[in-house]
Amino acid sequence: MITAIGVDIGSLTTKAVVLDDKKIVSWAVLRSSEKTEFSARTAIEQSLQKIGLDFKIGLNIVATGLGSKTVTFSRSKSLTACLARGSNSLFPQARMAIDMGAESSTVIRINERGRVTDWQSQDKCAAGTGIFLEQMAKLIGVSMSEMDELSFQAKSPPEITNTCAVFAESEVISHIHRVPATSKEDIVAGIYRSILGRIISMCKRAGIQREVMATGGVALNKGIISVLSKELGFEILVPENPQLAAALGAAIIARETAGEKA
Amino acid sequence: MTTNNKLSSIVQSCRVIRKMSQPGPYQKSDELYYQNLSTYYTRLLKARENGGFIAAHTVFFPAEILYAMDIVPMHTEMTTWLMALFLGEQAELLSAGAEVGLAAEICSPHRGLAGAFTRGYLPHPDVMLWSNLICDNTAKSGELVMKLCNCPGFFLDHPFQHNNEEVSYLVNELKSMVRFLEEKSGHKMNWDKLSEIVARTNQQLALTNEINELRKLVPSPFAAQGFLKLLLADYLFPGQPEAIAYLQQLRDELKDIVREKNLNPSLEKHRLMTLFIPPIYMTSYLDRLYLKYGAVSVVEPMFTKWTKAEFNPSQALKSVAEKSYVIPESHVMYGPLNENVIKYVVDSARDYQVQGAVFWAFLGCRHACATIKIFKDALNEAGIPMLAVDCDIVDPTVNPEEEIGEKLERFFELLDEL
Repeated sequence: MITAIGVDIGSLTTKAVVLDDKKIVSWAVLRSSEKTEFSARTAIEQSLQKIGLDFKIGLNIVATGLGSKTVTFSRSKSLTACLARGSNSLFPQARMAIDMGAESSTVIRINERGRVTDWQSQDKCAAGTGIFLEQMAKLIGVSMSEMDELSFQAKSPPEITNTCAVFAESEVISHIHRVPATSKEDIVAGIYRSILGRIISMCKRAGIQREVMATGGVALNKGIISVLSKELGFEILVPENPQLAAALGAAIIARETAGEKA
Repeated sequence: MTTNNKLSSIVQSCRVIRKMSQPGPYQKSDELYYQNLSTYYTRLLKARENGGFIAAHTVFFPAEILYAMDIVPMHTEMTTWLMALFLGEQAELLSAGAEVGLAAEICSPHRGLAGAFTRGYLPHPDVMLWSNLICDNTAKSGELVMKLCNCPGFFLDHPFQHNNEEVSYLVNELKSMVRFLEEKSGHKMNWDKLSEIVARTNQQLALTNEINELRKLVPSPFAAQGFLKLLLADYLFPGQPEAIAYLQQLRDELKDIVREKNLNPSLEKHRLMTLFIPPIYMTSYLDRLYLKYGAVSVVEPMFTKWTKAEFNPSQALKSVAEKSYVIPESHVMYGPLNENVIKYVVDSARDYQVQGAVFWAFLGCRHACATIKIFKDALNEAGIPMLAVDCDIVDPTVNPEEEIGEKLERFFELLDEL
């Protein structure tokens, strides 16, 4: 029997997780539409359909992410709280989670109960986000998975600014067109380091605490995780579906707070 | 071009707000607050027709001297703040400031002020007075105002160190400024009046400290963001009867609240320390948000928490010099940040039993922002979480209200869960 549903509305994708009293029984990820409520509802419907159930009003749902407060059929909880709870459930030993999403990055420190003790976020510039990564892949003319493979073959990655996505793009263009051109492998690794430079600085501001785990769609990228581990000097924990961490946390909070009013 | 029309709008707004004041624990002090604002800007508005001499001055400037010389003061930063608060025309003022060469990274109250003078929203002063207390923006912006308003000016060089030699140096600087003002305005310094002002400054300080002691109580009897009004007393009316009347009224109201146990402890869920100043244009929004989450700012070591001091009215000029070292802003933000200041902030958090601190990271104030990590680490070590919110005091285009609101909500949630 399902007990709770969590939905995380991101700028690029919306994620839903369905729980029974012990574990995840279904989940779905779909592209977000401009209508928040529609995205949330569709993601939940898809995840329920996978287990032969229908959406109905009155389900125990917590929503998080963009516009989650406007969703009429759920309660709302902050992204940081959901990420912390979800991360704690996936890796109880994690004391820091680095969430790399499509349009923002957040670093949270978590206590042993899965509560946030501090966080840093950057949401002012695309530098350091998944959208930036996609944009750079298009610019270089490779897919995201090809980009990932290229990063492992880099020899001498160039320094690329992490203060502004637009400036970073023009730097990448100049690397492509210079004579001799910087290799794609090195450019990709330079881009990864640029993204991570910003994220690592947030980690340092929050105070790095091991173990550290990575969440969000960007954490699916093995090259990024590899560079992040090298830069931090230790292994990073990555769950099987890192993009689901916040939705999972939302579902856990829904289960814990069942019966509370929206 | 000088039209003064924006000053009359500020005066009008204050009158309307005062008339609309609702019954409540702070009704009388609120009325006095708006009456004082109205008095200040009416005097400025009518200065020309009354044959007054206007001196524009930057923040933390010893306006006691101006009052003693019967010169009409115009607090530059406060005036820009108030225009942001009451008139909501920041975009136009800031873009006018940009037209005279002040880039977006420069302190927005100074940008807005330059814009206000360029647009003729403020009367051009007869003189411009400025100092290096407390930052490079204040140290440099006076020259631009002189140029824009085609008026003479005086730069008051304030020493960093607090010792007898430096105080003597500052007293000499003040003497030079008095001579400058006497020459330009034709007004003579009234030393008896300055002594009276110093005597009232002692009273003002005692009242402020009394109010702060009342704010230590749990729950605090003061409004969630009432401290913003506290600032006005010294910024606009240092050592003036208006400041005393306001502070006395507020002190009495707080005492009444405590005596009558007129506070529900459950309404105060989060006792906060405020570091730096929240966006002025968001005052109403933040009031509602703080009320919703039971958040109350109980101490502001950078702005309202004065150290104890007693000034000697018979040595009036020296007292004015000494006072500049004990104002909270200069005590915490001026000169090198030493261990004593960090300890002072952490001790304040403990004394006022705060559960969390909010640092308003005003992007235009680089020297304050540079202290964020230091204060955060020190407070965290004492078990007090601190939120730093990137913002601008007067420019709403830097962060939408909702973005700041969401960060605060997350922080209140964090405090709830700890």
